[in-house]
Amino acid sequence: MTDRTENLLLALPGLLLLAVAFFVPIARMLALSVSGPDGVTLDHFARFLSDPFYLGVLWRTVRLAAVITLICALIGFPFAYIMARVGPRLRLWMVIAVILPLMTSVVIRTFGWMVLLGRSGLVPRILRDLGLADRGFGLMQTETAIVIGMVQVLLPFMTLSILGVISRLDRRLEEAARTMGCSFAATIRTVVLPLAMPGIVAGSLLVFTLSASSFVTPNLLGGTRIQVLAASIYKSVTQTLDWPFAAAQAVILFAGVLLVLIPYAKMTARRDG
Amino acid sequence: MVRAVPAPLRILAWIFVILTILLLLAPLVVVVGVSVSQSEFIAFPPDGLSLRWYQDVLSSGTYLAAAAASLQIAMLVTVLSTLVGGAAAIALHRGRLPFSGLVETVFLSPLVLPTIIYAIGALMLWSTFFGPVSTATLWIGHTVVALPYVVRTTLAVLSEADPFLEEAARTMGAGRLQRLWFVVVPQCLPGLAAGAFFAFNISFDEAVLSLFLRKPDMVTLPVQIYSRLEFSPDPSVAAVSTIMIALTILLILVIDRILGLQRFASS
Repeated sequence: MTDRTENLLLALPGLLLLAVAFFVPIARMLALSVSGPDGVTLDHFARFLSDPFYLGVLWRTVRLAAVITLICALIGFPFAYIMARVGPRLRLWMVIAVILPLMTSVVIRTFGWMVLLGRSGLVPRILRDLGLADRGFGLMQTETAIVIGMVQVLLPFMTLSILGVISRLDRRLEEAARTMGCSFAATIRTVVLPLAMPGIVAGSLLVFTLSASSFVTPNLLGGTRIQVLAASIYKSVTQTLDWPFAAAQAVILFAGVLLVLIPYAKMTARRDG
Repeated sequence: MVRAVPAPLRILAWIFVILTILLLLAPLVVVVGVSVSQSEFIAFPPDGLSLRWYQDVLSSGTYLAAAAASLQIAMLVTVLSTLVGGAAAIALHRGRLPFSGLVETVFLSPLVLPTIIYAIGALMLWSTFFGPVSTATLWIGHTVVALPYVVRTTLAVLSEADPFLEEAARTMGAGRLQRLWFVVVPQCLPGLAAGAFFAFNISFDEAVLSLFLRKPDMVTLPVQIYSRLEFSPDPSVAAVSTIMIALTILLILVIDRILGLQRFASS
């Protein structure tokens, strides 16, 4: 037996498992999306793309994912930068604040937001007390609620992705910029931000795909009235039992995700290599 | 010496950090708060203080059954993904595989593909060929999702291991299995252990796959919580959630001991 055979044998169970339990299901979904009563058909796609309701669902999904990604980047970059530059004690707290939610079930975190944002919840109550909202004001079942919940769910991904890049930056670059007369803001703008860009872009692509395909949080915070693509897929699977149509919607989501993930894969490969 | 950060900005940074930590932890704190409330209704801050909802959970058949199902699946997933993922990571680390770049991408791909797409495919494939879904469906499904984490943690630990140790064992006449068992496996043990805890956590908390593949007689804890939230949440949901948060904290502490959280956060 050669070393090559030994390694192949070690990797084989995993490769087989992924082939049978990961790639075949995806292929099955692709096949089902074009299957009709008599052979191959694109009817399910045509139905989705010609119905203003579903186009609205698609547009809402993309729009919300873009807003969520932007907010995550705006919070994630400074947070990751501070995390990389503070003392070990505060950093530990910041790490915990990122990891603990990340490892807690999305269902539980969404539940927390349902309590906070509900009609008698803390957030609307504070807004009402401050006179910023009138008495009937509620946040549940709005797109705002989805954005708030999703930002909390996905911020850890953005932060860790940016932190990975920033923690490898040479601090002396910033010191050099300062000694050369750069202000702090100018140093961030001209030195840190460009160097951190790969992390920001990678984090944004990841957050965008995750939020475009998320299901639990939008469904519970937005309610049935505000549907996103993932919720619409779930409805086709469990309520109308229209599996080919569900598969077609999943393929549309899949195509969008691939469009975003291919540059992501290229970028992370370059960073490692 | 240049003054590092201007004072007003420093204060602003503090406020920003505190607000962000608040945003990240608020939903968890709220859930814990609701769980000790005395009233029948979900309220935060809680009215009064009692442990009645914990009593409720611990005497409720539905919650206990869901917890048992979750635990069973999570343990099966932990074992399978650690074995399969660990072996794959060792092969990947040695790098003498045909198409090793492609193989690594394959192993990490469940990480980036949204679970919902995979869940649809798994449901449709399984119902066509194997009939109704069972515990095995979730076992395999969660293992696929957890696999990349085990591969990653094991690879990370191996990349810092001494490559000459195995060489030395070889020159001393150790056979293939001996080298694997006595040299390589002990070297990647911290990575395997951390990966195992991650796998457990992922399976125990996973909701999307479990929702698509759910059956009336096989409901996991996250699915149970989800359906309560859709229809009639009461503070018992908060109590069971709090128990799950406590378990997560325990897992994080263990992973921190094994691997170091700081390292995990900056990798």
